[in-house]
Amino acid sequence: MSGVDVTAVAKNYGATKVLTDITQNFESGTFTSLLGPSGSGKTTLLRIIAGFVAPDEGAVRIAGADVTGVPVHARNIGMVFQSYALFPHMSVAANVGFGLGRRGIRGKAAKAQVDEALEMVRLPGFGGRYPRQLSGGQQQRVALARAIVIRPDVLLLDEPLSALDRRLRQEMQVELLRIQRESGLTTIFVTHDQEEALTLSDKVAILDRGRIVQMGRPAEVYERPRTRFAAEFLGDANFLTGKVRGSAVEIAGATIMTEDRLPAEGATVTLAVRPEKIAIRPAETARSGAVENSLPATVSSVIYTGTALTYMLRSGDLHLKVFAQNSDGSPLAAGSAVVLSWSARHSVMVEG
Amino acid sequence: MPPEASAAGLPATRRRMPSWLATAALLLPSYAWLTLAVLLPLAAMFAFSFLHATPLGNKPVVWTLEQYRAFYDQPYLLGVAWASLSIGLWTTGICAVVGFAAALALVRATAGRARETLLILVLLPFWTNGLVRVFSWTMVIREGGFLDVFVRWFWPSAPSLGFLYTTPAIVLGLVHGYLPYMVLTCYIALLSVDEAVIEAAQSLGARWWTVLFKILVPLAAPGLVTGAILIFVPVIGAFMEPRILGGRVGVTMGTVIEDQFTQAFNWPLGSALAFTMLAVVLAVFATFSGVLRRSATT
Amino acid sequence: MIKIARLFLALVLVFLYLPIIVMAAMGFNASPLYALPFDFTTHWYQELAGNGRLIEAGWNSIWLAVLTAVIATALGTLAALALWRRTFRGRSILRILLLPPIAIPWLITGTAMLVFFFWTGIGRGLHAMLIGHVALAIPYVVLVVGTGLQTLRADLEEAAMSLGSTPIHAFFRVTLPLLLPSIVGAALFAFAVSLDQFVISYFLSVPGMTTLPVEIYSAIRKGFTPEINAISTILLVASMIIILGFARFARPGGIGERS
Ligand SMILES: Nc1ncnc2c1ncn2[C@@H]1O[C@H](COP(=O)(O)OP(=O)(O)OP(=O)(O)O)[C@@H](O)[C@H]1O
Ligand SMILES: [Mg+2]
Repeated sequence: MSGVDVTAVAKNYGATKVLTDITQNFESGTFTSLLGPSGSGKTTLLRIIAGFVAPDEGAVRIAGADVTGVPVHARNIGMVFQSYALFPHMSVAANVGFGLGRRGIRGKAAKAQVDEALEMVRLPGFGGRYPRQLSGGQQQRVALARAIVIRPDVLLLDEPLSALDRRLRQEMQVELLRIQRESGLTTIFVTHDQEEALTLSDKVAILDRGRIVQMGRPAEVYERPRTRFAAEFLGDANFLTGKVRGSAVEIAGATIMTEDRLPAEGATVTLAVRPEKIAIRPAETARSGAVENSLPATVSSVIYTGTALTYMLRSGDLHLKVFAQNSDGSPLAAGSAVVLSWSARHSVMVEG
Repeated sequence: MPPEASAAGLPATRRRMPSWLATAALLLPSYAWLTLAVLLPLAAMFAFSFLHATPLGNKPVVWTLEQYRAFYDQPYLLGVAWASLSIGLWTTGICAVVGFAAALALVRATAGRARETLLILVLLPFWTNGLVRVFSWTMVIREGGFLDVFVRWFWPSAPSLGFLYTTPAIVLGLVHGYLPYMVLTCYIALLSVDEAVIEAAQSLGARWWTVLFKILVPLAAPGLVTGAILIFVPVIGAFMEPRILGGRVGVTMGTVIEDQFTQAFNWPLGSALAFTMLAVVLAVFATFSGVLRRSATT
Repeated sequence: MIKIARLFLALVLVFLYLPIIVMAAMGFNASPLYALPFDFTTHWYQELAGNGRLIEAGWNSIWLAVLTAVIATALGTLAALALWRRTFRGRSILRILLLPPIAIPWLITGTAMLVFFFWTGIGRGLHAMLIGHVALAIPYVVLVVGTGLQTLRADLEEAAMSLGSTPIHAFFRVTLPLLLPSIVGAALFAFAVSLDQFVISYFLSVPGMTTLPVEIYSAIRKGFTPEINAISTILLVASMIIILGFARFARPGGIGERS
């Protein structure tokens, strides 16, 4: 089994439980994003995999070998730091060749590999420069070249793009994805940015207070969040809490259908509905029929952002949010009576 | 598969030194040295201050508190202490006024490279030999020295203005020695005062003296206090400046303590006086570190 | 207002430098009684060259300063690495323990060393001065190197280790080259501290085993000639050059980090 296996890893700093019982396989060749709020333990998990932090419990296996007790320098990893961490006293070529030297590759063979890596990050001919003579984006590419040239068993990146401005960041996302695909490296990528995580990754892992609450393909995690936290952290969601009645859920007098398997009659459940999945119509033109769920509501306010509209609504005691396209250029006014409707498969049952 | 099969070519894992051992190995040489050369001597001196007499030959060792009664038994010491204190206060006061003004002038009337150069020029003498600088003053202020020559250039029959071997001469030498401290601490404090605060005060109708005393001095207070501590503490322990510039009048706590070790050979008394002084120093630190902490939080 | 401020600054500089300049000038004046008018001569410098006592004291000072710089820099750098790169209990107490040599008046430290060295049989002399000077210099070295380490990001070492460096290799290839300006600065600083140190040396000296400042002091006390001006000028210029060198090296982050 290659890739990275983390088994029952836990880490405490004094009384703070930073990571609790993390068991996860990062499949060989996949690009996985670790996503979670600040302080949720992303960096700690990454540094445990790298070997900078020793876990209190559990084991880490890289490419099939147990590396739990192995120091950083004897693990074959590539790491890209948020601040790039290029050696300021070495040229770009020396930076990229550093890890090769540690592996006994020197001279011509090293030079060829360095050149190839610089080519891969689109910086051919930059070998003679020093880090301070490079722009932020170029430094980032050198850091990436330095990490991949050693053909690591796993590439670890801790918010590598957060120091770049928006445009450069998007450019680097594309580059990063291309390089990962070309090199086929198992990659673990820490980020704050959900959009970045969704566009780049094969898999997204959501961390909440030291636990991985869900891991899966981006669409899977987005469309079928398993917990309230996951639904809220990745995207936006309306939460409807009610009691199970037959094959539906009774919420504030309305009956809401879902395709998920419900627990026993009378149990309290929470359904998450994404704001863009809800259709909004003025009450008088509402048609019933095709859609399973509909809910009368009143518009409390509208946020106008040009291409899209965000409606804040009330339905009895419920507060709801709906995203709509600004297709006819005349948003509904506050106070309008409306009917909200959505399909049963968009009511996702979540824990918590 | 062996654990390191994947890390091809990497140096093999050797047994690691426990982390605490490495830390201890790094720290031990320095702290052992400091213990031997500073901490143990201070402890030994503290013990000496409770002896009746310098333990020489096979005189019996007698423990006593009498050395700490010195100020009571030898009232002239009170006068000496007062002289030291007033020299310390005058020096600190003059340094505060001149140093603050110089720092203010640096911050408000210069900029860029010129400011950097001026600051280095002000600080440079501080890192040269203090003894040599004190000696330099004797060239200037003795009778018939540079000061007299300079004045007589304009007024040939002027009386001598030389004031070597007086208390003001001691203060002058000490101010010269320690002024750079005050300039530096005030400079750092004033540098952090936001220009907009001053402009805001002016826009509210404040004149320059209001700005100075209501805004700049209070905001630079931490710098003034730090500078004052850094000056007052060594000044009350000074002995070489009073000896060279004060001559016969230059009797201070510093010179009295020195005498106990080099002339009178009364080490217990010297130790007790030194620790009394150290207590004053610590009291000064303690008092003002409270002030500094409060000003840091507000 | 600006003009007055600049004038004031000029006056402060005159106050700081005038006596030094007068003193240095008198070393080039022929009169042994410092009488004017000024009559240029290098006579006193020639005298100095033949003054065995001062020359010997000068060499003592220089050797003492060199040894102090080497020992204090080596020990202080190691301590700084522990104090700024490792976390352990009692770290802040150890940092506070650096203060006594800096903050306690030298008179007290010096007499304490005298008492203790006498009592333990270490005695007085150049070896005792070396012990004292190194102890005074260590805290400065630790602080200068520590400041350098603080501006040197720890992730560079981590990057080296992630690429296969052992901690020791990472230290020699990455940390040490980047820290070198701070270390050189600290060594210069330690050298200057020792070269200019008078109080401690004074209490630990014995006749025939003194340093330049102690020798100058006894000459001043006993009656002096412009020869003392000459040697003082040399000492002053040497310290100024060393300190300017220090200011050049010990910028935060060292040479490598700056663009
Ligand atoms: N060396 C340490 N000592 C004590 N607590 C630590 C240490 N390192 C991390 N922590 C704590 O562990 C928790 C998780 O930290 P971590 O850096 O892994 O979070 P993160 O998810 O990377 O956050 P961010 O998105 O802000 O980078 C935090 O509460 C942090 O305060
Ligand atoms: Mg982090």
